[in-house]
Amino acid sequence: MAYTRKNQNSLSRAERRRFVDAVLRLKRRGEYDEFVRTHIDFYVSDGDDRLRVAHMTPTFLPWHRRFLLDFERALRRIDDSVTVPYWDWTKDRSPAASLWGEDLMGGNGRRSDRRVTTGPFARGNGWVVKEAVTDGDFLTRDLGRRADPLELPTRQDVAWAMAETVYDVEPWDSTSRRGFRNRLEGWTEESGSARWRNHNRVHRWVGGHMLGGASVNDPVFWLNHAFVDLLWSRWQRKRPDSAPYLPAKPPTLGDAQYQRIVARREPMPPWRTTPQDMLSHKSVYRYAE
Amino acid sequence: MSSVSRVSGANRLKRRHLIAVAAAAALGAVGAFRGLREKDEREGLPGAPGGPGFDETYRGRRIQGEPTTGEREHGPDGWRVTVDGQPLGLMRRADGSYLSMVDHYQSYATPLAAARGAVDELGSYQTLSGRLH
Repeated sequence: MAYTRKNQNSLSRAERRRFVDAVLRLKRRGEYDEFVRTHIDFYVSDGDDRLRVAHMTPTFLPWHRRFLLDFERALRRIDDSVTVPYWDWTKDRSPAASLWGEDLMGGNGRRSDRRVTTGPFARGNGWVVKEAVTDGDFLTRDLGRRADPLELPTRQDVAWAMAETVYDVEPWDSTSRRGFRNRLEGWTEESGSARWRNHNRVHRWVGGHMLGGASVNDPVFWLNHAFVDLLWSRWQRKRPDSAPYLPAKPPTLGDAQYQRIVARREPMPPWRTTPQDMLSHKSVYRYAE
Repeated sequence: MSSVSRVSGANRLKRRHLIAVAAAAALGAVGAFRGLREKDEREGLPGAPGGPGFDETYRGRRIQGEPTTGEREHGPDGWRVTVDGQPLGLMRRADGSYLSMVDHYQSYATPLAAARGAVDELGSYQTLSGRLH
């Protein structure tokens, strides 16, 4: 029986509490920090001449789908009523949204050092950051980048990605000019704050730990990626005649992307899971939209 | 006005480089000129790809970068960058620009610009942990 992932703004008080409690228990067991480490270890940039599976690559979507499934499975071992909620940032756009309430994500970081001081993920309430590239052991945020404000991505940004009829295109990286994957991931050739779209822009908007490789330290990471995952699902429904994943075949010797990206039926490290395995989620979960 | 003081190795730099770097840093201090800063720091400046190394104090942090050869420990081939002595992981994007591990979503034309960007993001209260990707 498939379970349901809900919009975070529709969770009952009890559902919020159970989600937060499961995350906190995972953290106390040390399992949460394994997810942080995995995400750090698999951030490979596209100018690097080696296999990249998580970002700037066609597997950005299936890799994170699998990553979320692992996290959700770990939560459900603790409490089988819990699922990962999604954050529709085209609608819940303000630091005043209930998402940032004390019973869910907690609030913004303070101005002086961006330290989150409210909610379950505040250092003072026991959430200790252990795996990071900076030395503080407290979670940081700078919602909306107060020194130089920017907005969350809009419905128009999502529509710009959804308008793509092809899943991904050569050169299969952050410079791909077309393709749903790169537009949803959010890389552009623009400068200033127009450079960030969709997924990337959410990381920029939250700021603090969400900006770097250790972004998983902020549990809002999962809520952003659940929405990105929902949008992939929605795109597939909208484009039944498009190949659901590309490339179908691995690049061959002599191609710049040879052994640097994963084709539809090849494994995505650290798992043996292939993009093909991740094309449908309906037997495991569905989204309440 | 941001202070850029050369601390060592500066004598290897030509005078016009110093002037250009100071000018770029002054522009960099003003958020509105962010775009200009990126365009201004290209070939021929310290920290440009294939260019000379850099060693400066930027917003109170010592940032150093050296071109390297041979086996890399982390980051793009050919650069070792530190902030206050701690290694700053840099990654190369396909368009030739550089990302730092402090901010994965903004890229810069040169390792020097990426190091300054990392310092901007670290602010006055955070230091690097020494951990690389």
